Amino acid sequence: MSLLAVNQLVMQFGDRLIQKDVSLKVEKGCIFAVMGGSGCGKSTLLKHLVGLLPPAAGTVTYDGVDFWASDDAERSRLRSGFGMLFQSAALWSSMTVLENICLPLSRQTRLDGKQREAKAREVLEWVELGEFADFYPSSLSGGMKKRAGLARAIAAEPPLLFLDEPSAGLDPISSRRLDDLILDIRHRTGAAVVFVSHELPSLFAIADDGIFLDADSKQPIAHGCPRELARQDVHPTVHAFLHREVPPPAAAPATAKATS
Amino acid sequence: MPPPSLPQRPSLDALLRSAVGPLERPVRFIGEVLLSAAAASGGRWSFRREDLGRVLADCSARAVTIVLVVNLLVGAILAFVGAVQLAKFGAGIFVADLVGIAVAREMAAIITAVVIAGRTGAAFAAEIATMQANEEVDALEVLGLGAVDFLVLPRVASLLLMMPLLYIFACLAGLVGGMLVAAAMLDISAIAYLQRTAEALTWTHLGLGIGKSLTFGALVGMVGCYYGLNAKRNAAGVGVATTGAVVTSIVGIIVLDAIFALCANALDI
Repeated sequence: MSLLAVNQLVMQFGDRLIQKDVSLKVEKGCIFAVMGGSGCGKSTLLKHLVGLLPPAAGTVTYDGVDFWASDDAERSRLRSGFGMLFQSAALWSSMTVLENICLPLSRQTRLDGKQREAKAREVLEWVELGEFADFYPSSLSGGMKKRAGLARAIAAEPPLLFLDEPSAGLDPISSRRLDDLILDIRHRTGAAVVFVSHELPSLFAIADDGIFLDADSKQPIAHGCPRELARQDVHPTVHAFLHREVPPPAAAPATAKATS
Repeated sequence: MPPPSLPQRPSLDALLRSAVGPLERPVRFIGEVLLSAAAASGGRWSFRREDLGRVLADCSARAVTIVLVVNLLVGAILAFVGAVQLAKFGAGIFVADLVGIAVAREMAAIITAVVIAGRTGAAFAAEIATMQANEEVDALEVLGLGAVDFLVLPRVASLLLMMPLLYIFACLAGLVGGMLVAAAMLDISAIAYLQRTAEALTWTHLGLGIGKSLTFGALVGMVGCYYGLNAKRNAAGVGVATTGAVVTSIVGIIVLDAIFALCANALDI
């Protein structure tokens, strides 16, 4: 049974269709990329997956349990099984970095106050922010905020992580360090990672599998590992995206499946 | 040839929905706050004590100076207007009755609520709207922490706790303001003024004022948080939420005070 399975999801705001027929599976330890151009619905898909926005149709299941068909208590239990890094890091501005990490620990674990603090400091050392534990988010740089947000997401060691454009807005070195950190997290904790990105170096460096959402046809047009997709004969839009080219004016619809 | 079709009348359901629709969200919000308060009173609160302490300090110690100054001046203005008129009839001493009753029944609660709406209610709206824009509220939701439980409840509870205290300070300031003007314009001694005030004021007046301050506190807290949570996720949204919170709070305070006046009149209190 897949850790996360999405079946025939329809994403819609009122009458405006964003994406349809979105299906994907994420297995344990897999790093899964949600790719696509700006405005195609990548972050919206993530909101459907983490329970922030109900989909118009389709199912999202965690270990076979349908998230959106579950009651509040079951959803709360399912939520405790994943961590999320938001695009803006979304650190709680009225709390220090340490408090930002202790709060999820108080919800998702049974650790007492001292154990929570020790665990939070350990995770901060891991993301190289140990000396910034007592800083407020407003005092951190963009890269530091992302790492602090990642520390918050992984603190309770959830089996599944959602990362919304983790390397967006970072310089190449910070971006590379974050990629290495994500690989290290997978190596150490065995967590699966679903990440939204249009940063090609990150996609090629860390993704094992992925899906490409197309803004024009409003449906996925490719599934597979980005490295494999880049080598295959795929939809012209996917090819243009993965090779950083300007796409042809009228790309014919076709769905590619890469074997990773 | 088919008969011409009559224009369709909107169904009763559609009419009711269009009439009640705009109220659905605020009514649901009030319901969520009440349910959350009921759960918290049973010991199941999820907000942090540090946040409650921070908000309590913000709407008490940090607000008391401006509340004292404004109410002192309102008491003085009431006394000034009363003194000019009452002196014409040789009834200057009754300025103490006028100021005492007006401050305790109406002005202290209203003016304090308006001041708190302008500083604390606006701050609630701006802070929560900014959190909304920065995805901080989403981060709470993903963690299973409802925004109402975590953000709204400590703020509304703080105002409910602190508004009656601010009201008492406001009453004292208003009476002092009236006393200063009475002493300066009518040469009434402080002791005579206070004695007259004590005779005029009853516990009913103070009880009514405290009831109003509690109601206004709940209103300002909920309105500020409601606008913050429903703000658009951009800088303009923060401004719109803040303005909306202050305007709605002030209008709500006046409307509620009018309802209080009608009820007090009907109950003869």
